[in-house]
Amino acid sequence: MRTIMHIDADAFFASVEQGFNPQLRNRPVIVGGTENQRGVVHTASYEARSRGVRTGMALVRAKQICPNAVFLKGHYEHYQAISLLLQETYTKYTPIVEFTSLDDAYLDLTGTLHLHPSPEQIARDIQTEVWEKTGVGLSMGIGINKAIANIASDLEKPKGIVNVPAGKEKEFLSPLPVDALPGVGRMAKEKLTDLGIFTVGQLALFSKLLLEQLFGKNGKKLWDLANGNDPREVKQRIIPRQISRETSFEEDTADMAIIKGTLQYLTERLAKKLRQNELVGQTVQVKIRYSDFGNNNRSRSLPYPSNDSGTLFKLAETLFDEIRLRRVRIRHVGVAVTQISPLNWQVSLFNNKNRQESLNSIIDQLREKFGFTTILPAETIELRKKYRMEPSGYVLHNPALTR
Amino acid sequence: MIYEDIFEPIEVISLFKDGKIKPLRFKWNGRVYKINRLNGHWVSPQGYTKQYHFSLMADTYDYFEIMFDTSNFEWQIARVCLEG
Repeated sequence: MRTIMHIDADAFFASVEQGFNPQLRNRPVIVGGTENQRGVVHTASYEARSRGVRTGMALVRAKQICPNAVFLKGHYEHYQAISLLLQETYTKYTPIVEFTSLDDAYLDLTGTLHLHPSPEQIARDIQTEVWEKTGVGLSMGIGINKAIANIASDLEKPKGIVNVPAGKEKEFLSPLPVDALPGVGRMAKEKLTDLGIFTVGQLALFSKLLLEQLFGKNGKKLWDLANGNDPREVKQRIIPRQISRETSFEEDTADMAIIKGTLQYLTERLAKKLRQNELVGQTVQVKIRYSDFGNNNRSRSLPYPSNDSGTLFKLAETLFDEIRLRRVRIRHVGVAVTQISPLNWQVSLFNNKNRQESLNSIIDQLREKFGFTTILPAETIELRKKYRMEPSGYVLHNPALTR
Repeated sequence: MIYEDIFEPIEVISLFKDGKIKPLRFKWNGRVYKINRLNGHWVSPQGYTKQYHFSLMADTYDYFEIMFDTSNFEWQIARVCLEG
């Protein structure tokens, strides 16, 4: 029987800021931008949430309903530093730790449990240590698999510890609403409601075959989850499904040099991340948001997976030109790569990629030594008109998300 | 409460020990501040140099962020937090 712990930091970005500056404790804190800035709430502290502020809400609206809140742009390096500290703490209890984001992790305690009094004690020790060192609260769930641990960690936020004893999974899941299951979003919930299914217990009793017919291959997964089954392992290294980089402009723009320069810069950052993690991606997606909040997305696959910024940008630029059909200013652009796989196999026998790979490797070394902006595509130099350039990169509009 | 970027050079008395930096006092605008509490620190890689940032509370109960830049071995006051 496995023992898996899921740990989720409570209002992570806001808690980190409150930890760095104790004057912010017990005050509503909103991370996402300053109060006069355009944009949306990225994270709100529990004090701000209690006043009705939610993630994704426009900053202007957040200011209206919580006028005494402290608005912060946020700082990715703060969150990265604290995430490293979390990592150090977790690995004291088990070497098998899977980080799914900066603040969200699974620990497989199966092999190390005999060294500690109980999983709850481990949870309390981790909670105390992280709180004392950083001021960040953690919510934790313990169960026999990742899904149970994940659902449990979500039930008693903030700073809750929920342990689901082995064999009690069905009992635990049964009264929960169907959208407590990972992967059940608004659409799936509506579909299930139409079938008269409101709770996980009702879903568990439903026909597996019918679910497969209704939801395709996800139907089987859903049925398994409803019955407390999840065979996924805790992996120390995970291959992300998607890597994306996106940003909003300070002000809406129709300047193609700035828009394409930004898209190219974001693609450079994305390709660097792929190469750093020895990954390649095959499908490129481009996202545009216009000043009237209309969106356009389009994706297409390359003939072979790549982590070369030139190759990825060529396709991204083509997609951008195809979807940019409206004569409206643009407020937000983004690029993403999906169908990601490890870089450990030979793509084709005859190609001239070796030269490009060598070039990328030299560029990465230069950036490692002298900073990311040491070498950039000429088109992205235009961005200097808009953004402050530091050796580590341009300081974009939303630094909380600037990686 | 608002943060204000300053980025002005300051003089700092600090302890370099066991591969770590611990700022103790700093002088800004002719006034000496004793560091009462280090709240946290982070490193910002700038190519082959690094900037070590510290968030701290001074004896005046004011919040500051100070920064040590290894490219020129200089300390700077990066940000302050002001009421209002």
